[in-house]
Amino acid sequence: MQLITILMVSFLGAGIVYLAGKFFGRARNLLAVLISLTPVVLISLTYNQKISTSFYSLPFLNLSLGLRIDSLSWFFAIAVAAIGFLSVIFSLEYMRNYQRLNFYYFMMLFVNAGMLGIVLSADFLSFYIFWEIMSWSTYLLISYKGGKAVAAGLKYIVMSIAGSVAMLFAIVNLYASYGTLEISSLASLLQTASPGYILFLLLMFVIGFGVKNAIWPLHTWLPDAHAEAVSPFSAILSSILVRMGMYGFLLIMYGIVGLNLLQRLGYGLLNFNYILCWIGAITIVIPIFIAILQDDAKRLVAWSSVGHGGYMILGIGIATSLGFAGGIFHILNYAICVATLFFVAGAIEYRTGGVRDLNELGGLIKKMPVTFIAGLAGISGLIGIPLTNGFISKWLIYKALIVGNYPFLAFAALIGTWGTILYGYKFLHNIFLGQLPEKYKDVKEVPWTMQLPMIVLTLAIILFGIFPGIPLKVISMIEKSFGVEPFSTAMFGMPQGIGELNTINILAAVLVAGGVVYLLFSLSAKSRKVSQEDSYAAGSFVPEEKYQYSVRFYDQVYRIIGPYLRDVVDDFYYWLARKSKDFFQVVRQIYTGNINTYALYIILFLAFLIFVKLGRSLW
Amino acid sequence: MVNPSLLVGIPLAFAFSIPLFSLISKKIEKYIPVVALLINLTISFVLIPQVLEKPVVVSIGGWSPPFCINLVIGPLGIFLATLISGIGFLISIYAVSYIKKEPTQKYHMLFLLLIVGAIGIVLTGDIFNLFVFFEILCISSYALVAYNKDKEGTEAAIKYLIQGSIGSSLILIGIALLYGFFGTLNMADIASRITSVEPTYLFISLAFLITGFGIEAAVFPLNAWLPDAHSSAPSSISAILSGIAIKTGVYGIARMIFTIFNAGSILTFIAFLGLLTLLIGEMSAFRQDDIKRLLAYSSIGQIGLIVFALGIATSPGVFASLFQIVSHTLAKTLLFLAAGYMIYKVGSKSITSLNGMGKRMPLTSFAFAIGSFSLIGLPPFAGFMSKLSIVYAAIQVKKPIFLAFIAIALIATVIEAGYFFKIVQNLYFKKGENIDKITETSGYILIPIIILTGAIIIIGVHPQFITGLLKEAANELLGRATYIGWVLGGT
Repeated sequence: MQLITILMVSFLGAGIVYLAGKFFGRARNLLAVLISLTPVVLISLTYNQKISTSFYSLPFLNLSLGLRIDSLSWFFAIAVAAIGFLSVIFSLEYMRNYQRLNFYYFMMLFVNAGMLGIVLSADFLSFYIFWEIMSWSTYLLISYKGGKAVAAGLKYIVMSIAGSVAMLFAIVNLYASYGTLEISSLASLLQTASPGYILFLLLMFVIGFGVKNAIWPLHTWLPDAHAEAVSPFSAILSSILVRMGMYGFLLIMYGIVGLNLLQRLGYGLLNFNYILCWIGAITIVIPIFIAILQDDAKRLVAWSSVGHGGYMILGIGIATSLGFAGGIFHILNYAICVATLFFVAGAIEYRTGGVRDLNELGGLIKKMPVTFIAGLAGISGLIGIPLTNGFISKWLIYKALIVGNYPFLAFAALIGTWGTILYGYKFLHNIFLGQLPEKYKDVKEVPWTMQLPMIVLTLAIILFGIFPGIPLKVISMIEKSFGVEPFSTAMFGMPQGIGELNTINILAAVLVAGGVVYLLFSLSAKSRKVSQEDSYAAGSFVPEEKYQYSVRFYDQVYRIIGPYLRDVVDDFYYWLARKSKDFFQVVRQIYTGNINTYALYIILFLAFLIFVKLGRSLW
Repeated sequence: MVNPSLLVGIPLAFAFSIPLFSLISKKIEKYIPVVALLINLTISFVLIPQVLEKPVVVSIGGWSPPFCINLVIGPLGIFLATLISGIGFLISIYAVSYIKKEPTQKYHMLFLLLIVGAIGIVLTGDIFNLFVFFEILCISSYALVAYNKDKEGTEAAIKYLIQGSIGSSLILIGIALLYGFFGTLNMADIASRITSVEPTYLFISLAFLITGFGIEAAVFPLNAWLPDAHSSAPSSISAILSGIAIKTGVYGIARMIFTIFNAGSILTFIAFLGLLTLLIGEMSAFRQDDIKRLLAYSSIGQIGLIVFALGIATSPGVFASLFQIVSHTLAKTLLFLAAGYMIYKVGSKSITSLNGMGKRMPLTSFAFAIGSFSLIGLPPFAGFMSKLSIVYAAIQVKKPIFLAFIAIALIATVIEAGYFFKIVQNLYFKKGENIDKITETSGYILIPIIILTGAIIIIGVHPQFITGLLKEAANELLGRATYIGWVLGGT
């Protein structure tokens, strides 16, 4: 009943917000905030509960649809609800100058409701229904801004539909074979299935979930879509919506097929998990290089989003207790960090009149300190600097890779981190550091409703960095439900058996070191303050407008690797689309417009029918 | 008890009374189809529970079957008759303000006759009578396609006329052969004695009938008339042609294959034909710039899907096929009606001219979006449930060939999604030019649009409203012995 209430509130709430916007104007924003807050509260109340209910039945297919919550879905549900809530708050100010806000808020809440539906589904039909509802509403929201966003939206939805038909094929196949779609019953029924069948199922689901989670080579929709969507929605899209794919992976691989069966799929190194790990590794490495070269702030974060999806795949692909913990924890951490970064990019856009080009920005640290700190925290989390949440999850993934003896995969993961440092620094530097361009002299910090989500997320980054035990407790419950040996955690880091890690010690060390540095600085001679507009260049005067540290960052790298770094996969898809269009054109020519040919078709068809039949009966 | 022959009689009587009414006042004539079809719709609703309890066989002329012309109102017949009356009713409301060009009197007469033909086809139990109704339907649609009196419409109508006449003659030959073999024209009677004739001879007759009905059903390669005819007719007529007329062709094929000939061997071929039609329709639709042509090609694709599901020929397959008929009829009618009025407002049929209509005509655009989503098969709209049933039916037969077929059909869905999503974006997310003065429609136009949108959502959310009837209808097609029993008595 609780679950039904959650979904009812979310779906109907979206409609109510729309109507409120139509008839009462101002009440809409407040209502949107309240409606998005409700699932956060309701879901946190279901912590550590196991509920399942059935909410609908389809007699013509003899199916009943149900909802359930367990540790895995709780983990995702709370993330969906929380990020959705923060994005709605961020939207209040950010979206002020946009048109069709009723539609916008309606869709935002609707997408969230769809995602909640996905993670709360107890059977694959409702899963698929909510999945598709999420897909098409995402398409509408991506296209919302018009202009370039339209093409991005179309690319997204076509790839997404391709993925979901693969999934539908698998789901219906399951139903035809087993007569049920209930996840819990399938989990036990599938244990006796043949490996070939399992492989087929997994392949279909991997296509479906892989498109959403943007694993290589199904990732090409993501950069466009994330860059072109409005920033609050980019935050949702990148942080949690694409991770519905991860939820799907976890569900089908470990919730249903199960670890035992998975390990028997394939021979030696050619087994399913190992190949998935390598796909994860490729997904980490390639986007990293592309991200370094991006000049568009949101595109940069978007590519990093592709790359970090690879870490998660890697983590759950290793399928050890450590790997799971790392992979699942990274989902949460990444969601928090990337939402922060999209909020930061959105805040910058908001104050600079829509500028996302990293070449044009710079020096905003003094003008927008809160945004800077949020950006710093987000980037640190991405890189995995100690005392941020990303550190813990990456540490777990590395540890899992090393313990599991996968040196090459570990190397790929390391490359990913190095790359993250490079593009992370570029993001931070080009926006906040360096000289302040003349035109941004009057830029002010964003209003508090935009600061609030950033502050909350920044605090979360640090909180989970110092007290990783909070989320890891839920994660170990998830592991238990997968039948993996649960991961025992302390509040501050890892127990001895896994490897010494104590965040409190790190915190203490950092505080002491920070104190020492502060002391040294305050004792030493005062440094001269230089204004932000001062473009000092080795003593010679450079005109301000001509000199910007942040322009063409990593230009040298670009010249070296740029030519090799085309997104080959994307090119391939475009080629395929072009060729198909040409082919469709040829097919269309069947309809010549000439009545003689049409009459001919009819007679030929009849003749064909009769001849085939006569032929078959004569010989 | 209501006499089911009224279902045919009322529109027929009203059709010919239109000139009389217009003697009283010119203003009344456009309301006559609305009234007639409302009565029809009510009658069919009243009949549904009765028919589900016990099918009704009406003998005309006091003789008993097989010696008389009879109507057989089984679940399939009443289901299709309700659909036809319902859609016809909605379109007639639309036409009240949509059809302004003279001679409106003829339009309304022909429209009602088209409905008479369609209802007659699905209710009759006599194969020659079927042919007659089929001709009524075809001839009125030839005339209606040319209603705009422009070059495009006339050309399309002539092409349609030529191909349609070839089709009708083939049907007639097929029927003549059957009459020669059996000496009877009663479908149940023929069906009960079908085994008494050499199968090869029978096949010749079947081939003629399939080709003939295939033309009206727009099965590839017999469907070349459709894009022209559906796109150049007035939109209300496009809607009835795409929504109703082509489905009667499918009904014809289904009746022949399942009830009369019991031709199990040809079914896989039919499924293949459906698949081919689907692919070709979707591919051609993808390349269209003219919205009505695009919708017409998409109708070809959808008919392909319907025929494909029919070819599966299991109980879930036929059920899915009928379900798809419902969802396609609702969605395509809605799309043609919505697009029709947008075209009327912007004065151009090109897709790009619809840019930005979401702001100017919010309700109509919304309806268009819902219709397209339903056709693509997205939940929670009717199209999802029907597509799901088709996929289920195809996989459930557990034959590798159908697995391959449905996989290809699903790929066609991706193509379909490609063009429909593009139009929805045009409506909502692109800036339009010279559309500032356009305003939302009002009055009669909106009634059918709103009702159809509502129906799509309601059936999508709660398919149980119709699934019971559909199941019975599917059983009727598959259970030919019961059908024969209804008409000839005994079992």
